[in-house]
Amino acid sequence: MLHPSRAAIAALTALSVIGTACSSGTPAPGASGSGGKPYAGTTIRVLGANHPWADALKPLLPDFEAKTGIKVNLEQYGEDQLTQKLTTEFTAGSSDIDAFMQRPLQEAKLHQQNGYYQDLNTYFKDSNKTPADYEVNDISKAALGTEAVGDVLTGVPIVVEAEVLYYRKDLLQAAGLSVPKTLDELKAAAAKLTDKSKEQYGFVARGQRSPAVTQFSSFLYSYGGDWFDLKTKKASIDTPEFIQAVTFYGSLLRDYGPPGVLNMSFPQAAAIVSQGKAAMYTDANSIYQLMLDPKQSQVADKMGVAPFPAGPKGANMYNVTSWGLSMYAKAPHKDAAWEFIKWATSKEIVIKTQATGAVPGARKSAFDDPQGKSKFPADWSAAAAASGGGRGYDRPLIVQVQKGRDIIGDVITTSIQGGDIAGAAKKAQVEFQALLDSEK
Amino acid sequence: MAAARTDAHERAAVPTQTVRLRLGPVVRFLTIAVILTFFLAPFLWMLLNSFKTPIEVITLPPKLVFEPTTANYENVFQSQNFGRYLVNSIVVGAGSVGIGLLIGLPAAYSIAKWDQRGVATAILLARIVPGITLLVPLFILFRQVHLVDTFASLILTHALVGLPFIVTVMVPFFKGIPVELEEAARIDGATLLQTLRKVILPISGPGIVTAAILAFVFSWNNFMFSVVLATNQTKTVPVAIYNFISYAQVDWGGLMAAAVVITLPVLVLALGTQRYIVSGLTAGAVKG
Amino acid sequence: MTEGGFADRHARWLFPAPALLFVFALMVFPILYTVWTSLTGWDLGTGRPPTFIGPGNYENLLGDERFRGAIGRTLYFTVIAVGIEVVLGVAIALILNREFRGRRFVTSILLLPMMATPVAIAMVWLLMYEPTAGIVNFVLRSLHLPTPLWIAGAESVIPALALVDIWEWTPMVVLITLAGLASLPSDPFEAAAIDGASTLQSIRLITLPLLVPTIVVATLLRLIDALKTFDIIYTMTGGGPGFSSETLNVFSYQQAFQYFSFGYASSVLVVFFAIVLSISLVFTYVRREPPSRLAVADGRR
Repeated sequence: MLHPSRAAIAALTALSVIGTACSSGTPAPGASGSGGKPYAGTTIRVLGANHPWADALKPLLPDFEAKTGIKVNLEQYGEDQLTQKLTTEFTAGSSDIDAFMQRPLQEAKLHQQNGYYQDLNTYFKDSNKTPADYEVNDISKAALGTEAVGDVLTGVPIVVEAEVLYYRKDLLQAAGLSVPKTLDELKAAAAKLTDKSKEQYGFVARGQRSPAVTQFSSFLYSYGGDWFDLKTKKASIDTPEFIQAVTFYGSLLRDYGPPGVLNMSFPQAAAIVSQGKAAMYTDANSIYQLMLDPKQSQVADKMGVAPFPAGPKGANMYNVTSWGLSMYAKAPHKDAAWEFIKWATSKEIVIKTQATGAVPGARKSAFDDPQGKSKFPADWSAAAAASGGGRGYDRPLIVQVQKGRDIIGDVITTSIQGGDIAGAAKKAQVEFQALLDSEK
Repeated sequence: MAAARTDAHERAAVPTQTVRLRLGPVVRFLTIAVILTFFLAPFLWMLLNSFKTPIEVITLPPKLVFEPTTANYENVFQSQNFGRYLVNSIVVGAGSVGIGLLIGLPAAYSIAKWDQRGVATAILLARIVPGITLLVPLFILFRQVHLVDTFASLILTHALVGLPFIVTVMVPFFKGIPVELEEAARIDGATLLQTLRKVILPISGPGIVTAAILAFVFSWNNFMFSVVLATNQTKTVPVAIYNFISYAQVDWGGLMAAAVVITLPVLVLALGTQRYIVSGLTAGAVKG
Repeated sequence: MTEGGFADRHARWLFPAPALLFVFALMVFPILYTVWTSLTGWDLGTGRPPTFIGPGNYENLLGDERFRGAIGRTLYFTVIAVGIEVVLGVAIALILNREFRGRRFVTSILLLPMMATPVAIAMVWLLMYEPTAGIVNFVLRSLHLPTPLWIAGAESVIPALALVDIWEWTPMVVLITLAGLASLPSDPFEAAAIDGASTLQSIRLITLPLLVPTIVVATLLRLIDALKTFDIIYTMTGGGPGFSSETLNVFSYQQAFQYFSFGYASSVLVVFFAIVLSISLVFTYVRREPPSRLAVADGRR
């Protein structure tokens, strides 16, 4: 009989032999660097999401590689899969990831708490690493603020977005309705535009447990509610404002929404809109391409974009940094990774990604540039401008965001199903408070 | 000799004349038609929709006659790069079957010959343990030995999935080989390894084929290990189709084309080697 | 065994050694690691390190409504899926258990659902279940039958997912039962025929009792796999709507890979593993029953 530990050692040895045989050699950083290309020959590993920004950046990579001699291995994954992949690799202790796309509101605090980020302030403040023509001040202050956890800058913002109202111009006009400016008008219009026998629905939005939370946030804020008090750390899920907002959101979707809304995140909801089955839809303005692009939408020429309607306490939509580009604290090729981040967030590239991917970036100058704004229709730009003062978070500002979203999302799905909202809210309040307490 | 080891399928192919339902032929025909429809419909629906445009897919009542488009397949192979992922799946499948056979055949022979129940239990544990239990520790282990971004991590985990199937199929197979054959060789002075190579293995073809096919199919279909361990370079087809639904709108036509591309190879393999697969799947269940 | 080399003399442990080493490294080590992790407070969310805390995670499990819900849903899913698979599978096997033209073709078709890649199949069912544009509800509407929400409804999601499992795995029960049928002795049936028993009578009184061991084995095999169902649930609903289809497997995946509460997730996995293992032990026990009971299931004896 083999001794267990000896067997383990033997197995590990066997595995490492295979490992050595299989691992590919990485060129030494900067080994063959010439004057203008100090990092030539370096290969960096970048993890990105299946996101239009990454799709728009991909064809531009050869330019970067020609310019710097740095080879970029860009891997793309679905949102949740990306978070999972990053965390598993970081948890294992040593990853060869250099740079990665990150959702600051979703995971910056979590990753920072575990020391996964390289503080990018050190690069911004070093004029050798960040020349003046990069123009840091051109990047939205609010967006950079979202990326900060304490004194640490966890990433450079690449995508900003606000919640807007998408609507069908033709349907509203035919019904003699004007574009809803308040949530009450939205409800009245939704009622008038719903004819379930013809599969015509007045309104659609996300109903899936966790994805719904962010798009519900503007409703909550506009009803005067919030997730919790930032100062006292007291949860506010069972407040009258929260209950009113969640009742409103739920009944809107239950009465005027399509069947199956409980399984909808934005791809499914946007599909309902672009199939012409829904008259109005609230979601992030960054996904407008799904509905306004004739290649993807049957109603592309009939879509309008308006600012998020006002609730009892005004129009308090979110306006957030949804994606940033970060560097791993133990990145094997930090300086080369910085070259990449700097390039990907430079004026020139932001203009290009806005022009080809139609992804709103964080640089003011890109929206002034004719090429940079070419993809955005006038009403889209007007709605974006109207959202300028929106709130900088679309989910609770906590470390365990996903857990919090699941707790809150349960109240939203209960409301959509017409269940016991007060009971669900009370239960969520207790759970969410416990979550907040665990982070004190 | 081969007849002595009749596999379960062959036995099933010759139904006993003793038990039968004497349904009227019409009723029986209809029942079988209903059963077939139930099991075939999703495949037909997948195939049909893979040739439709996005609008046609969601048009009701469904068009059964339409002008087929190959745009979905072009999308799958060109922009979605499925050719690459198919190759990855083949590499991982073949590699894991290779390793599985290499270590599984001697183990199965040993279990069969010396009735090593402990060994059998240890290996069959791999069939029982929920895959998630292994994910985090395996990831840490592979990181330690620098296997994470390689095919090796996928091949090794998939071999773990296939190993119990290989053993389940091969143990009864080896047990069925008459002891006299082996003894004759040993009397002639052959060592155990020679006997294995010259006597046992040559007549084990059908068993090994069965085991290999099953292990390959379960590697091909594996999602859980691949979704955590695969990178862009080593991504296998189930992960690729899962990635297909992440951003942008749900492209049903493209999804169905991808589903066809993924399932077709295993279905063809299954139909081509039907008799082996049936015997393999029922091996663990009916034989002691 | 007088002659022969080193290999001959040590074959008894040399032959199974590579497989055992492999299984130890890739499975036993991870299982032990998981058991250890379950006794730590390791959680990236709260920043707690992997240090020993004792049975705290297990105590928390007892009071966790989501965990209790997940256990209930896992059992619910498993019971309806496996229950229907066994009844349907045995029935189909009895129908197919005779010579007719195209029998081979029918058996081939039966192979397809279980060989097809589950994730791909999940996509097809997703399209068919689509509440407005799906074919399933279209057919029901045309027949003036009620149209459920399938996987989009809190009540209907588990049965809808079970139906996918039933589609995938009923054929497995059919094939096992057919193999069992083929190995039945013929004497009792001849006796029954002489006594003038009807077909249904002989099925009820002779076939089914003789088939019991085969059916038990098929049921247990399916139980083990159905409890662990992950691919179709995770890719079709992710545990939704709400938490309505969050089974143990999905719950532990969420805890580990969405919340990164590795300690807590590990305790869920240990419980989960214990459940599956105990069912497997029943399986082993049944298979080791005295040959008299199982002999009928074994064609070679």
